[in-house]
Amino acid sequence: MKLEKDDLILLYRNMVRTRKLDELTIKGLQEGKVLSFYHSGQGSEGLAVGSAACLRKDDYLWGHHRGHGIGYLIGKGLDGKAFLAEHYGKVTGSCLGISGFHFAEPEYGALGAAGTIGSQFPISLGWGLAAKKTGKQQVVLACFGDGGSNRGTLHEAFNLAAVWKLPIVWLCDNNGMAQYTPIKDTYPKDDIADLAGGYNMPGVVVDGMDIMAVYEAVEAAVDRARAGGGPSLIEAKTARYRSHSEGSPDVSHTVTRSEAEIAELKKRDPIETFKIKLLKQGVLTEEMVDQINKEADEEIIETEKFSLDSPPPEPSILNKLIYAE
Amino acid sequence: MAKMTMVQALNLALKQEMAKDDSVIVLGEDVGVDGGVFRVTDGLINQFGQDRVLDTPLAESGIVGMSIGMAVYGLKPVCEIQFSGFSYQNFHQIENHAARLRLRSRGRYNVPMVLRTPYGGGVRALEHHSESRETFWAHMPGIKMVIPSGPRNARALLVSAIRDPDPVIFYESKALYRAFREEVPEEEETMPIGKPRIAQEGKDLTLISYGAMMRPTLEAAAGLKEKDGVEAEVIDLLTVSPLDDEIFVQSVLKTGRAVVIHEAPRSFGPGAEIVSRLMEKAFYYLEVPIERVTGYDIIIPLFSREKAYLPNAQRIIRAARKALSN
Ligand SMILES: Cc1ncc(C[n+]2csc(CCOP(=O)(O)OP(=O)(O)O)c2C)c(N)n1
Repeated sequence: MKLEKDDLILLYRNMVRTRKLDELTIKGLQEGKVLSFYHSGQGSEGLAVGSAACLRKDDYLWGHHRGHGIGYLIGKGLDGKAFLAEHYGKVTGSCLGISGFHFAEPEYGALGAAGTIGSQFPISLGWGLAAKKTGKQQVVLACFGDGGSNRGTLHEAFNLAAVWKLPIVWLCDNNGMAQYTPIKDTYPKDDIADLAGGYNMPGVVVDGMDIMAVYEAVEAAVDRARAGGGPSLIEAKTARYRSHSEGSPDVSHTVTRSEAEIAELKKRDPIETFKIKLLKQGVLTEEMVDQINKEADEEIIETEKFSLDSPPPEPSILNKLIYAE
Repeated sequence: MAKMTMVQALNLALKQEMAKDDSVIVLGEDVGVDGGVFRVTDGLINQFGQDRVLDTPLAESGIVGMSIGMAVYGLKPVCEIQFSGFSYQNFHQIENHAARLRLRSRGRYNVPMVLRTPYGGGVRALEHHSESRETFWAHMPGIKMVIPSGPRNARALLVSAIRDPDPVIFYESKALYRAFREEVPEEEETMPIGKPRIAQEGKDLTLISYGAMMRPTLEAAAGLKEKDGVEAEVIDLLTVSPLDDEIFVQSVLKTGRAVVIHEAPRSFGPGAEIVSRLMEKAFYYLEVPIERVTGYDIIIPLFSREKAYLPNAQRIIRAARKALSN
């Protein structure tokens, strides 16, 4: 599908909203309002927003844990309110404030992610099989990181998805790091996309910091999957601007990543580079950029207030949620 | 003697055992160059090199399967799983191989490995990062399930676990990692695996606990003494399985009253087995039903409600008063 001017502006707007929500979540964690952990998604907004923009609302999504998957959900049309409230442990959250960053948004096809890296492979396989059986031409976007590619579950799922031609797009957010471990220490080649050949599916590498490159690659894979052509693997080379999780040391092995190194990564910033491109093309003007930022700031204030004002859940609810009543 | 946190004490155990025995190998995610997420393996790679301290990929069944393979070969691997909730990825390797190889090989092989992993609540995390599922391992004949309660016994038990000819699952409480310091002797110290200890003597009531729950249990014992003049005997299991009941049975024969404490979910938790042992061996000496203070039969909730989930001194005192009421 050719993207119209409004579509391009929406992509830009959603990246800005994702970034600002990320900053707000970090602030919330620092202030003790966000519970548990936060794995910032700064640097991968283009991948999240651009890939999810290729999906229908009823397509299935296992977002990557960077930004706790919110960029993908924003790309699919959700706002950040239920996300933040969930992180605050409030009853207005996506899952009554009980699930924290392991939340689900079933209406948006996000049936729930969990922290065990690698479990997404077989579960996405199940979504894909179910989707194929119901014939609704739904597609599954199943995300994982370079570290996640080390899990054995990947093989089981890649293999069967390819044999059964399931409608799955395997999307790898390769930021070069798994927590403190560089991928070059745990994977013997340069490109994870090369795995695809072994399963007889297309495998491509894209610049994950370029939202248009992401969009085009994912769109092609989604079209193929929807048309019954089977799975594809897309590897997006991205960057992680911050530490693995907020508050943990930002090291590659023991070496602290330098400011210069991060600044170098930020030169490829998906939001900035896309903005410059759209300004050049005349799709955006400086005034529009200001307006988009202003609206996003207002949305953030509202989102924070919504979460602050909401009550936590009653503990008794916990008993009711273990089995069907 | 140096005062150490549990992290430092565990580190000392690993360092000394590695220096002493070349066959001890440490492996896991980020355990080498980085020294582990909780820094228990800090500095080992510098001292012992990359051949003995292995940074592995994010691949738990690989880490544990590899450890079993090395152990059968004759090495003594000590692997780390970053959080106990990620050890279910390697469940099959432990259940089907580590626990059974001795029997399956008619006693010709053993699996002298240790799987170290942080467990339990109280650190603002969720689900896999906070749960206490020792029952999974305690229910496996062939596996030893050890949970220390402080720096000194953690160090001594880890040394014993490394030397033990059988596979040991070693749960380390995250809440205790840096909670307090204890004198830990530089010279070698071991503790027998499979032996509980009496943490505090008393005559009126027996409190049976272990791991991170020892702190609220001792706090409750102090509260009972101060407010009610009750002298509680406190038992620290240290090894959950195989469960040696002698010490706590003897204690209950004396006191006639018992409260069992664990943060694991209530049903089928270790408390169920402890209570059964008391029914079998101390029934006629019991004055009142045995009380349990445990986690609930739910998934451990997010931090906002974690305090309501975890047993604390007040809950233990309440149960103790009930057990003392007749
Ligand atoms: C099964 C399992 N093992 C270990 C972890 C701890 N852990 C969480 S994220 C992570 C690194 C993941 O790296 P990658 O897949 O590259 O994603 P990134 O965080 O870099 O985006 C690790 C080791 C986990 N969550 N699940």
